Amino acid sequence: MELNKQIAEIRDKTERMRRDCIEMGYAAAKEGAHFGPALSCVEIVASLFFGVMHHDPKNPEMPDRDRFVMSKGHACLAYYAALIEAGYIPREMIPQFKGNNSILCGHPSMNMPYGIEVSTGSLGSGFAIACGMAKAAMYKGESHKVFCVVGDGECNEGIIWEAALNAAKYELDNLITIVDINGFQLSGTTLKIMPINLDALWNAADWDVSYIENGNDVEQVLKTLMEINNSERGKPHALLVKTTKGKGISFMENNLAFHAAPINQEQYEQAIQDLDKAEAIRKAQ
Amino acid sequence: MSSISVELLKEWSKLGHRSALGESLILLAKERNDVVVVSPDLTTTARLVNFENEFSDRLFNVGIAEQNMIGFTAGLAKEGLMPFAVSIAAFAPMRCAEQIQNMLGYMNLNARVVGIEAGCRFGPLGNTHFAMDDMALMRAIPNFTVICPSDPHQIYKTVFAVADHEGPVHIRLTGAPGFPLIYPEDFDFEIGKAIEYRPGIDIAIIATGSVLWEGIHAAEILEKNGISARVIDMHTVKPIDVKMLDSVFAQNKLIVTVEEHTIIGGLGSAVAEYKAGFNNAPNQIMCGLGDRFRKIGNYDFHMKDNGLVAEDIAEKARNAFTEL
Repeated sequence: MELNKQIAEIRDKTERMRRDCIEMGYAAAKEGAHFGPALSCVEIVASLFFGVMHHDPKNPEMPDRDRFVMSKGHACLAYYAALIEAGYIPREMIPQFKGNNSILCGHPSMNMPYGIEVSTGSLGSGFAIACGMAKAAMYKGESHKVFCVVGDGECNEGIIWEAALNAAKYELDNLITIVDINGFQLSGTTLKIMPINLDALWNAADWDVSYIENGNDVEQVLKTLMEINNSERGKPHALLVKTTKGKGISFMENNLAFHAAPINQEQYEQAIQDLDKAEAIRKAQ
Repeated sequence: MSSISVELLKEWSKLGHRSALGESLILLAKERNDVVVVSPDLTTTARLVNFENEFSDRLFNVGIAEQNMIGFTAGLAKEGLMPFAVSIAAFAPMRCAEQIQNMLGYMNLNARVVGIEAGCRFGPLGNTHFAMDDMALMRAIPNFTVICPSDPHQIYKTVFAVADHEGPVHIRLTGAPGFPLIYPEDFDFEIGKAIEYRPGIDIAIIATGSVLWEGIHAAEILEKNGISARVIDMHTVKPIDVKMLDSVFAQNKLIVTVEEHTIIGGLGSAVAEYKAGFNNAPNQIMCGLGDRFRKIGNYDFHMKDNGLVAEDIAEKARNAFTEL
């Protein structure tokens, strides 16, 4: 497919995905949802599912599928929205988010028929598992890739660095890790809570490190991911992506209060209005 | 799985459970390409050097990093390999218990976590190196099977049995080099099915791990005192063999559980939990490690200090039986 057309299509999908994030989070009522960390990575997840990864919603366990691990499991809304958009999860299940006995848990729970590859939610876990999955593929001589989304706050976890060093040791160049740098973690900015020089650390761990200045721009994200996906550098890849927490919803952007929170009817309507407006502007262009 | 010579078993008995494990893994890996081993830099300690020499591409030393050992293991298992994560029992499960629960238990993966030197074997090294509570931790994690083999032969059987088992398994290994060969002949081993080592009417000694040997000798002492003691090898602590326990409740008058583990949450607890549902089940006494941190000392010192020697087990059992 012609690249510009693909970018336009993915943009279109990110708009629906944001709507689905809001719908799911609103459906959870007073249970609330992790809106901020999900909305920051919508373009990353959409670019992976609809522009980079080899997968088939009709065959979720296809052996040569690329694997996706949402290590920042609290951002599951973005993950579920992609799975809904791709057709793994029926859209009718949106109201079930966080509901009793629902498969749409507050953190992903492995469920292969619905495309949920790995259970995550305990930070750092998904990334370490992704490293093992990449090693297994290498051991078995399989050519698929493993894509893993990690949060910047998540990089506080020691296991991230245990696993990063191990992945470098085994030269897991079939592993592509996208670090969503939205600048916030639960109780404050990442700068305040735990200032980490992520660039220096990923380089020190001997990973192949790339950068995206605006991770909410599909064009930048898609082009860089495609480039990395087709490269062979003999090292695992870390893509450090600057994003905006709560991207796309006026009152959520860079607002720590919506890291995890319920929204009321008024806020829901405001969010939908924001998304309608963004869509209208895009169509006018 | 082929049968194994008594000479080799005697050699493993002499060398200890680490060698029994390492050599059994080699034999298993020769039969199955999916078997891989993950180690947090314990290749030499865990006697995995021979394995590494034979299968250099199947031994993954992840460095001194137990949490990642489990994450890496989970990823390997998720992709269909049969990983054995081998660490010192003091560090796995305790140091990576959360990872074991959320990665292996929650996703019900076919991974095996092996703790070497469980209990007090590292006695002179201090409490940081004792694994007193590993069964308590692992029993509490859904989907996990918990096995504590009693001798080198049972270690071999366990290694092969778990490779065909669905779901995550914890194997804890106890006993010092020179730990007795209890089963020199071939024997039937099935996960979850206890072995009646010897019949008896009055007391049922239910033991797990290498301390079974002390239970067997306790039964012999009791016999000389005119008390008939049955000995049961409860190698699988979870799921516990309730059929065997039903038989004990029906046939025996006193239960003595024996384990090299804190009396909180291990074999004794598992028996008591099941027994709680019965009105007329026999009394139970628990022989195990007391609920305390301990002084340092060699293995024999700790076993005596905790009453985990045949004479003490027999005396405790005799006293309790006399008071019935």
